[in-house]
Amino acid sequence: MNQESALTYSKVNHDIIRMLDKPTVKWWSLFIFDLAVLAFGLFCFLYQVYTGLGVAGYRHPVFWAVYITNFVFWVGIAHSGTLISAILYLFRARFRMSIYRISEAMTVFAVLTAGLFPIIHLGRPWSFYWLLPYPNQRELWVNFRSPLLWDVFAVGTYLTVSSIFFFVGMIPDIAAIRDRVKEIPRKIIYTILSLGWKGSTWEWGHYTRAYFYFAAFATPLVISVHSVVSWDFAMSNVPGWHSTIFPPYFVAGAIFSGLAMVITLVVPIRKIFHLEEFITIANFEGMAKMIILTSLIVTYAYVVEFFMAWYSGNPYEWGQFMYRAKGDYALFYWIMIFCNSVVPLLLWFKKVRTNIKALFIISLFINIGMWFERFNIIVISLSHDFEPGGWGLYRVSWVELGVTAGSFAWFFMFFLLFIKILPALSISEIKEILPAPTREAKAR
Amino acid sequence: MSEIKKGGSTKPVLSKGEGLITGGIKRRDFLKILGVVGGTAAITGGCSPEPVEKIIPYVIPPDTIIPGIPKWYASTCMECPAGCGILVKNREGRAIKIEGNPLSPINSGGTCARGQAALQGLYNPDRIGGPHTRNSSGRLEPTAWDEAESILVEKIKEIRSKGNGNKIVFLTNNISGSLNRLIDDWVNALGGRHIVYETFSHEPLKEANRISFGINKIPTYHIEETKYLLSFGADMLETWLSPVQYARKFSEMHGYKNKSMGKFVQVEPRLSLTGVSADEWIAIRPGTEAFLALGIANAILSEGAASVTSGEADKLNRLVKDYKPDVVSLITEVPTETITRIAKEFVESRPSLALGGGAANTSSKSTETLVAINILNYIAGNVGDTVNFGDTLTLSNANSFREIASLVDSMSKGEVELLLIYNVNPSFTLPKTLRFDEALKKVPFVVSFSSFMDETTEQANLVLPDHTTLEKWGDYTPQDSVYGVIQPIMDPVFNTKSIGDVILSISKKIEGLESQFSSNTFYDYLRDSWRGIQTRLAPDKDFEAFWTDKVERGGIYREIAPIQVRLSQEVSTVSFSEPKFEGEGAIYFMAYPSYRYYDGRGANKPWLQELPDAITTAVWDTWVEINPETARKIGVKEGDFLSIESPYGNITTQAYIYKGIRPDTIAVPIGLGHKSYGRYAQNRGVNPIEILPVLTDEASGGFAWLSTKVNVSKTGKREQLVKTQDSTSQEGRGIAQAITLKELESGVHEQHELGEKFDMYPPQKYIKHRWGMSIDLSKCIGCGACVTACYAENNIPVVGKGQVAKRREMSWIRIERFYHEDNGFDIRFIPMLCQHCGNAPCEPVCPVYATYHNHEGLNAMIYNRCVGTRYCSNNCTYKVRRFNWFTYNWPEPLNWQLNPDVSVRTKGVMEKCTFCVQRIRFGEDRARDEERNVRDGEIIPACAQACPTKVIVFGDLKDGESTVSHLAKDERGYRVLQEVNTQPAITYLKKVTWDKA
Repeated sequence: MNQESALTYSKVNHDIIRMLDKPTVKWWSLFIFDLAVLAFGLFCFLYQVYTGLGVAGYRHPVFWAVYITNFVFWVGIAHSGTLISAILYLFRARFRMSIYRISEAMTVFAVLTAGLFPIIHLGRPWSFYWLLPYPNQRELWVNFRSPLLWDVFAVGTYLTVSSIFFFVGMIPDIAAIRDRVKEIPRKIIYTILSLGWKGSTWEWGHYTRAYFYFAAFATPLVISVHSVVSWDFAMSNVPGWHSTIFPPYFVAGAIFSGLAMVITLVVPIRKIFHLEEFITIANFEGMAKMIILTSLIVTYAYVVEFFMAWYSGNPYEWGQFMYRAKGDYALFYWIMIFCNSVVPLLLWFKKVRTNIKALFIISLFINIGMWFERFNIIVISLSHDFEPGGWGLYRVSWVELGVTAGSFAWFFMFFLLFIKILPALSISEIKEILPAPTREAKAR
Repeated sequence: MSEIKKGGSTKPVLSKGEGLITGGIKRRDFLKILGVVGGTAAITGGCSPEPVEKIIPYVIPPDTIIPGIPKWYASTCMECPAGCGILVKNREGRAIKIEGNPLSPINSGGTCARGQAALQGLYNPDRIGGPHTRNSSGRLEPTAWDEAESILVEKIKEIRSKGNGNKIVFLTNNISGSLNRLIDDWVNALGGRHIVYETFSHEPLKEANRISFGINKIPTYHIEETKYLLSFGADMLETWLSPVQYARKFSEMHGYKNKSMGKFVQVEPRLSLTGVSADEWIAIRPGTEAFLALGIANAILSEGAASVTSGEADKLNRLVKDYKPDVVSLITEVPTETITRIAKEFVESRPSLALGGGAANTSSKSTETLVAINILNYIAGNVGDTVNFGDTLTLSNANSFREIASLVDSMSKGEVELLLIYNVNPSFTLPKTLRFDEALKKVPFVVSFSSFMDETTEQANLVLPDHTTLEKWGDYTPQDSVYGVIQPIMDPVFNTKSIGDVILSISKKIEGLESQFSSNTFYDYLRDSWRGIQTRLAPDKDFEAFWTDKVERGGIYREIAPIQVRLSQEVSTVSFSEPKFEGEGAIYFMAYPSYRYYDGRGANKPWLQELPDAITTAVWDTWVEINPETARKIGVKEGDFLSIESPYGNITTQAYIYKGIRPDTIAVPIGLGHKSYGRYAQNRGVNPIEILPVLTDEASGGFAWLSTKVNVSKTGKREQLVKTQDSTSQEGRGIAQAITLKELESGVHEQHELGEKFDMYPPQKYIKHRWGMSIDLSKCIGCGACVTACYAENNIPVVGKGQVAKRREMSWIRIERFYHEDNGFDIRFIPMLCQHCGNAPCEPVCPVYATYHNHEGLNAMIYNRCVGTRYCSNNCTYKVRRFNWFTYNWPEPLNWQLNPDVSVRTKGVMEKCTFCVQRIRFGEDRARDEERNVRDGEIIPACAQACPTKVIVFGDLKDGESTVSHLAKDERGYRVLQEVNTQPAITYLKKVTWDKA
């Protein structure tokens, strides 16, 4: 880190806690716009509940579409948070320090968003709790053979663990804020949230050990959650879904899209709050390299899918993949290939991956590409499965678009609140990599 | 308790959930009269004239009604002139399901989709609720029956006082039977005329038979006995004469059994639904069938293969000598080899049969064509064998189109003062150029007895709505061998009155008629009329016993043997020439009768609207079929609106690209394009009759349907053509499989049996039964009767065109059709429904056990438990599950038809075929009550029951002796997509094809 020398402990405290100052007009207008979009999304959902799922664009035989696409998309986004904070923590990758808080927040909010979609897409959402194995007088139980039920547990576990991890990592920082704020209500809230953190050596000893264990505990979840989500598809018999490569393919894709989303979020925050000193080009470069890696894995999966469809001699698989490339939805397929396999190749150039603007644009492409990847897997496979007599095309409806927009608003609502309420960068961990103030004088 | 509303309310008189009561009969008497099938109810009492006004709830249930136990009443279907016998299921006072009467020799238990949908005529929300009269401002307004009748009485008196009795005309459809006699006698007594109008009355058949054999009748055909069927455009599986009867007979002839089957060749410019079942389609040039028939005759005679006397042979030789196959080939565009081959096959595979006279192919030279076909049958020795002149159709009694045209002429000249119209809708079914509507305006007083506000009734001065067939007494004689009884299944839904009762009741008020028409009610009249039948047929029997027996059985069914006829002299006077086509256009225009709407009368029934047309799979609209070559020439794709212009008008409808039609021909189905006739029919599609000229078959005076050449042009407008299946190819996936006769004989066909596979889960246990089905594709004709029957039985909602456009139709069984273009053009049908897989992919994926495997092999579905993840449908290999995207409603009183044994589903739940689990339970319960096992064939799902060709066999696979178990091991048996290892309970039997020559 080149600019480390310019940073001091007090500047870190000041610059990061400054982000929590009174919201500006800009923030407020953004927040209100966000709430308006969310309200529209909510309206669309309620309209759908009242009228029936028919207001969405589903057509026989495409019974899952944009909602499940969104679900998988958001679960995927949720991935990089844990990856950056937990796995990279265990690997002691230093470039994670400045961005892990934002990506953890993103994880929690993305899971909160993802979790809505399995309910939104239900024919009878008011009965969603029937998917939970709770004791009841009717002695009805859930079907543990159904991957959908595994989903309930996987996503539930992931939300719990990532929330705890997120919160625990913030305790020292909240204490720092507590010490700085003067207004009474805020002071009380931060006091409670800081759980009496004093920053003693004893506390730090326990804290770091706990954090390490949480990181170790969260790491397998990165693999498991998206593997389970992929089983929603892989455990079925639909050509294009029924594939053993799905778990690694989905996990790589999730990390890929998650990293892209982190860049998408961090770039504007860095600019708005002038955090160039904290979030450095090196941080971005580290992420860009991981994007290259995951992009290659995803591209490999695309190729292997085709290869297996051809090599297996299974006419249904082959029919499905030829349909993806050449059929009614071919445009979406090639958008996916372009965004996920071609565009990231630019990152091989150091000039590109150290250029913030270029990175931001590439990250947007990847977000789009990964959304379409899920869309293609879900919709194209269902449109064109075994029985030609049952084939049909899907067309999206305004209700689904409204709910999708609402889900983005829901995610950004949390995010906007987050950057104004909680420290978006980790004060304590950034300090860890700075020279200690006492030693600083000696060094000079 | 509710009052029966008087007057012309459009609301049904009974409200939901309430019991049954009559407008004129006490319930108990009523039920006794009905005569329960298999029951012993005595016939007591008659119809008491005093009206009963209160609905009595079932505080003390009537003795004959056990709630939950259905009653079945035999009756006769009047949806088309075929007159099939039906059994109607009555539950707690309401008709809820129609099934074919197995005793009827016409349909032997099967029905068609139209017959199934008769219930939606009964409960149609747009029925006329009561009598209406035109008020001073010219609008029809409700009135009371007394008043309405007295208006008619006054009118008749007025006309008679002027001595204009001869200006009274009664226009009805073919209602041969007591009502026909009553109307005949009544209108004769008034001095008027009774004219019978049938849209498809097949005059050329009669005339050709008169010329050929001196018999002015339409015979019946013993298709079942033939080995070789050659049809010149007769759509016998759709609308021709008696479609259910001929579908059944055809399946007997053409279904594969004992290593053999008959051969069927269809000659027509457009491959019709009937043609799809043929082994060979000959796309003849429109209107030239006569020459082909003569060419074949020529070939047979020149080979000396004809079974005629030498004198006849000489005479015939003279007649056909100019029509050598090569000459004929030039006229008809049929290859010479094909002609000689067919000639050879036709005489060699006896008994054979040649048919002709389908409405769509009726040209101005139709009679001559049919004479040529008669010659063909005659020289092959079929007349008096497979052509039965002993048992003729009463359709022969219909007046010809020429007579209808002359009626219209006299109407416009003011020669008709009173026109009474019953069961016909000439405003819709007559070509516009005949100007019926204008002529109708010249008639001072028009009375309609229609149950529906159709185009003709709308213009009437007085509307006296009749009961529908399911609410009244009557009889119908479709052919000499059958006297069908019509009995009321339930009380009238609306404030309607039987036409017979109206005639009798007004006769009492008209001088000079009271004595001749003294019966109190039409029921009495009917019984008197059947006394006559009894004296003729069973003079030694007691009438009451005779009557009860016939009412229970649904009528009198006799066997009438064919009579021997000889070729008449007149044949030699016939000269053959090409028919006349009007219009300067380059393309032949074919308007063909729809097997769903017939002549348009079915258009107000949502089941029929939503039944996909078998070939196009289109619903709720009209389309024009156009050959891909022609379409390419004018740059047309499916869904483009085409303007079709004849000298008499112009219609615009969407294109369907169809390889089964000649490039020089386009075709539009008849039936839609109604201006009124209720919410389902109105402003939907176009009516091709509108652009047809008034051109008749010259010899018979029948309407020439195939008589126009048109110009076709693109309008530039395009919309999605709403249909239920987009793909036409099965992509080599073996969904609908076929096998050739030779392969079957040599036994070289592959058997794809999967061996025992390792499975993680224990095998399914079936405690007592394992229900299964077999579907014989060699018999399926694609008619869709099963689909409509399923709608009726299982409370399947109709979703409308907009939703079908999103492929959200709810049908549990669908007929898939696949085109095969590798070896000529060929279409295969396969009924697709839940396969009740032994290893069902839908079951493990449901997170809440809403779908599971039960111990009888049924893939059960619990609506209440379903949360609507729809994963089951995604994982269904056959895509046969349907989702309730909305809560669908049945407009009152259509909901009266709902089957109380089947849940009505609401939004957000999945549904699918249950193998009619309610019928399975009913059968099992009955067997248990009777302390026996369920008998094979005792439980029949609605689809299997309705099927006119008996394609579907249902039964217990666990019982090794059951028919379905044997069929499951049939050499033709296969399971669709069995490589997915779903282990379906349905075995399909491959379609059998003749080896291509």
